Parts: sequence; C-alpha cells; structure tokens
Amino acid sequence: MITRRALEIATAALTGAFGVAIVVSSLQAGVGWTARGVGSGTFPFIAGVLIVGGSLYNIARNSLDPGPVALDRTGLRKLAAMLLPAILFVAAIPLVGLHLAAGAYAFASVAMHRAGSLRSAIVIGIATPLALYGIFDWAFQVSLPRGLFF
Amino acid sequence: MENLGLLMHGFGIVLSLNHLVLMLVGVLLGILVGVLPGLGAPNGVSLLLPLTFAMQPVSAIILLTSMYWGALFGGSVTSILFNIPGEPSSVATTFDGYPMARDGRATQALVTAFSSAAFGALVGVVLITLLASWIAKMALNFGSAEYFAVYFLAFASFIGVGGSPPAKTLVSLCIGFAIAAMGMDTISGNVRLTLGVDDFVRGISFVVAVMGLFGIGELLIATEDELHAKAVSSRIDWREVWRTLRGMPSHWLALLRSAAIGCWMGITPGGPTAASFMSYGVASRVSPRRANFGRGEPEGIVAPETADHAAGTSALLPMLALGIPGSATAAVMMGGLMIWGLTPGPMLFIEQKDFVWGLIASMYLGNIVAVVLVLLTVPIFAALMRVPFFVISPLILVVCAVGAYAVSNSYMDVVLMMGFGVLGYLFKKLAYPISPLVLAIVIGDKAEEAFRQAMLSSKGSVSIFFATPLCATITGIGIALLLIPLIAASLRRAARFSARVS
Repeated sequence: MITRRALEIATAALTGAFGVAIVVSSLQAGVGWTARGVGSGTFPFIAGVLIVGGSLYNIARNSLDPGPVALDRTGLRKLAAMLLPAILFVAAIPLVGLHLAAGAYAFASVAMHRAGSLRSAIVIGIATPLALYGIFDWAFQVSLPRGLFF
Repeated sequence: MENLGLLMHGFGIVLSLNHLVLMLVGVLLGILVGVLPGLGAPNGVSLLLPLTFAMQPVSAIILLTSMYWGALFGGSVTSILFNIPGEPSSVATTFDGYPMARDGRATQALVTAFSSAAFGALVGVVLITLLASWIAKMALNFGSAEYFAVYFLAFASFIGVGGSPPAKTLVSLCIGFAIAAMGMDTISGNVRLTLGVDDFVRGISFVVAVMGLFGIGELLIATEDELHAKAVSSRIDWREVWRTLRGMPSHWLALLRSAAIGCWMGITPGGPTAASFMSYGVASRVSPRRANFGRGEPEGIVAPETADHAAGTSALLPMLALGIPGSATAAVMMGGLMIWGLTPGPMLFIEQKDFVWGLIASMYLGNIVAVVLVLLTVPIFAALMRVPFFVISPLILVVCAVGAYAVSNSYMDVVLMMGFGVLGYLFKKLAYPISPLVLAIVIGDKAEEAFRQAMLSSKGSVSIFFATPLCATITGIGIALLLIPLIAASLRRAARFSARVS
C-alpha cells in the first residue's frame, strides 16, 4: 500500500534530484554575466534553482498529511503486470531486434492475461512484427533495429 | 480583404487530389488515435512526424493538422458511447454525453457533439483568418526583449490561470526548460548539461518526451483503472441526425459563449482541456437548463465540445504568428515546422505565404471532412473499442517505442521514453500538468535565445524588459499572472483568520 504522501514525496524528491543535477552542471557551464554576454549555464541554472525550490515546497506541503491511499495492492499488481513486461521488451530490443521483441511481447501479454486465448496470442504475436516490417521498413523506409542475429 | 484573396489562393493549393487524400488519411488516423485510450493527438502527431520529413511542408502540415482534427473528434466518440474519454480534453463531454447515450439518445448526443465541435473550430479558424496576419505584422516590429516578454507571458499564464497547483506547474515548466537546454548551446556553441551521458550531446527530442509522458503515462493510468467498455448502441439513425442539426441553432447562446471561452484559452496557452472544463463549469452556473446538467442535457455537450475545438484550433494562431504554441499538440507541430526548415513566427507570413494560407484553408476543409468521416465511421471505431484493453495496450506501447526510435534511429531514445513514461504516470496521478513541460522543451531554446540577446543589447540590465511601453505592459501582465496564486493564497489565509477570530 502506498499513500498519496509517499508518492508525492518520492516524485518531489525525483524532480528535486534532477534540479540539483541541473544546477551543478550549469555551474560548470558558466553562470552570470561574462564578457560574451549571459553565460551559457545561466538560464538552466535559474530553471534548476526553481525546480529545487518547487520540489522542496511540494515535499513540505505534502509531508504532514498522509492523504488517501494512492495505490493499493491490486493497483500495484496491475501496474507491475503492465510495466515489467514492457521493460523486458525494451531491454530485449538490442539483442533480438524490435520486430521479434515486439512480437514476443504482444504474444506474452495476451497469452498471460486471464481472459486471453492462446490462439489470439499466436495471431497477434505473428501479425505484430509483420505489420511493423510492412509499415516502417517497407512502406516508409524507416529501418528498425534488427538485433545481433539478423 | 487582402486576407480573403490570400485565403482563396490557399484553397487553390489545398484542393488537389494529393492533399485531399492526405487530409482523408490524416483525419482517419486522427479518429483512430482519438478513440484509443493512451494514444492522443500529441502522440499521434509525433508518431507521424518522422514520416513527413520527405514531404513538402504544406503537405506535411495538412496531414498533421487533419490528424489533430480527427483526434479531437474521435475523443468525443468514446466519451459519449463508452464513458471513456479518448482524449483528456473530452472528459467534460462524458458528464452529459454518456447519460444521453445510455438513455438511447446516442445519435442525438454524437451529432450535438460533432456539430458544436465544428462550430467551435469554425470560429477558431475565422479568428485565425482575420487576425493572424495582423498579429504577425505587429510582431515584425518585435525585438528580442518583446519576444522574451511574450514567452514570459505565455509561461506565466500557465502558472497563474492554468488550474493546476502553481508549484507543480512551475516544476513541470522548469524541467522542460532544463531539458531544452541540454546538449548544444545555440549561442555559444558549447556543449552543456549532458549529465555525463554521451547521447545527451544532441539533446533530448520533444517527440521522445511526448511519447513517454502522454503515451506510456496514460497507458499506465488506464491499466490501473482497468477500462471496461460497456457497450451502448452505436447505430446512427440518419433521421435523428437531421432533427438534431435543425435543433442546433436553439443553443446559439451556449455556442457563442463556449466559442469565446475556447478561443481565449487557445490563444493564451491554456489548452483545449482547460477550455472544455471551464466552459462546462460556466454553463452549469449560468445556463437556464442548468438543473438538468449531468443527467443528459444537450447543452452540457455543446459547452465543452465547442470550447474544446475552438481552443484546439485557435492554439495554432500564436504558433503561426508568434512562434508560441497554444497547446501540447501545437507544440509538437511547431517542432515539426522547425525540422522541415521553417521558422514559425511573423516571417512565415512573408516568406512562406503558400504554406500559411494553404494551412489556413485546409483547416476549413479538414474540419468539414472530419465531421462527415466521424459520423460515417462511428460504428467501425465503436467496434474497435470492444477489443479488450490487454490486447490494445502492448500494441500501443510498441507503437510508442517505434515512434521514439524513429526520431533519430537511437535505442537510447526508447529507454528514455520509458523513463518519461514513469514520470508521466506520476505526474498524472499527482496532478502535475504535462503540457507546460512539452511546451518548454519545444520553445525553451527560443525563449532563452531571446532573453540572452535582449540582455546583450542592454549590456546585462534587466530594465530592457520594461524599456518600451509595449514590452513593459506584456512583462507587467506576466508578473501579475504570476502573483495571482500568491494573492489568492493570502486572501484565503485572511478569510480563515477572520473566521477564526469571529
């Protein structure tokens, strides 16, 4: 179970960390007025400071009240069931190429769902890579990654 | 009158077989992405973008804008028939649209939605026809200080009147600026803010961000809610179509009011979503039929739909005339313009007359094509909604991955897209607005350039932003907008205090 407070703070911490990274690297790029005008880090520096400030405010504002439950156990499970296969799909692209990875991903998503049938999973698993090849590689000449084996 | 002649010239360009086919394809694809939850107009347009690189700019923009119209219409179909908004901007349409469909008045609800949408769009296009070249002419005298003031005003209006929590809007906006600044600095030529990742030297494309934030983020939200498409009859009764059309003029007041709200929200970058909610809110307070709102009142469809399309259309006015997009989709299109080698802004009206007036003419035609096509294809797209979500969602994810990859043939972009997806999910869940982030990525560079050039000419003094009356006025309005949330908060605090004292 994740409360709204936990989610708010985690998100604000994430944006805040990004803000700090931006501030640090803009300082390296040069901040302030130089002989050649406004230094190239100035604008992102201001943005970074505002991100850090806004994030701190968001943390402070949300840290008192735990708020309602933002994600319960079933919600988390559904989210994981969507996100984990998707991450595996993206991770597989450099190895087996986008076509095969997409086919396997579509097949697995349908086959593993309680309402999905094996037959429709096979149809989708075969149709997806063919459609990708037909539309992108063939019709629009955008060549998609083929992986290590092709 | 000069505009009218140019508009006729524009129609001459649009009325070719090639462009009409593109329009048809664009509208159909647009309805498709509008109907599918998880794919919206910003994604659809970004997906098509790589395919337009080889086209003539005017053909490319006709394809993209037609897709935009299609998506705006498609979003309403699912709102009404399934109570599932296909687009964030058609959420308000579900309030009265779905109850009407459930009561067996689906045709009346759909036709009311489409015809008010068409009216809203028409008002938006007429506004563009009349005002665009005038604003562009005025903007020709703008220096970099005025430009920065206008950018500042646009961003300030997100924070002041965007409707989301101001601190969250600020964070979202500034993340966009930071991302825009990554990679090559266009003024000094230095590489900056790569955060140690070599791929960031060429910057992060807005397309990758859009695919993740809107596409994957929406998908994750939809998975959690587990959408169930409860079928309402989607048959179109043609006699009912005519009857509804004949009854439309009786809503004239709601139509005009909503169109005005929509145009205002489209030009100041509030975007179609905010426009439709605001219009519904106003209508539910002032309409003589407000008692029926939420229970299937046609005027509850007229208000959000008219404003949605008026805003969606007029969002292109500042994009064309000033180079400041009025919505996330307009921002994506503007990114496209820059990739095709055009510079959005007033010079477009002088150097690219064919492009500008071809586009404006295509808006008139595209919306008519969209109304006809969407009416004819309602049963087909309604059938699509019965395909279970667990089949559609992996396909949408694959399409987004391909779209992110195709921007610059880079695997890194696909990984980044997933990261943006998780961010988009968190942002949606916690009411952070996403449009400011996308807008800032697209025009952040230009805003920064204007700022630095203005500062160069003033030798480092910020007083340049108050130097001319025009500039001072725009900057002043921007600052006032930024102060709105602060003033509202202190007023609330004062009210609470006085309540406690008494």
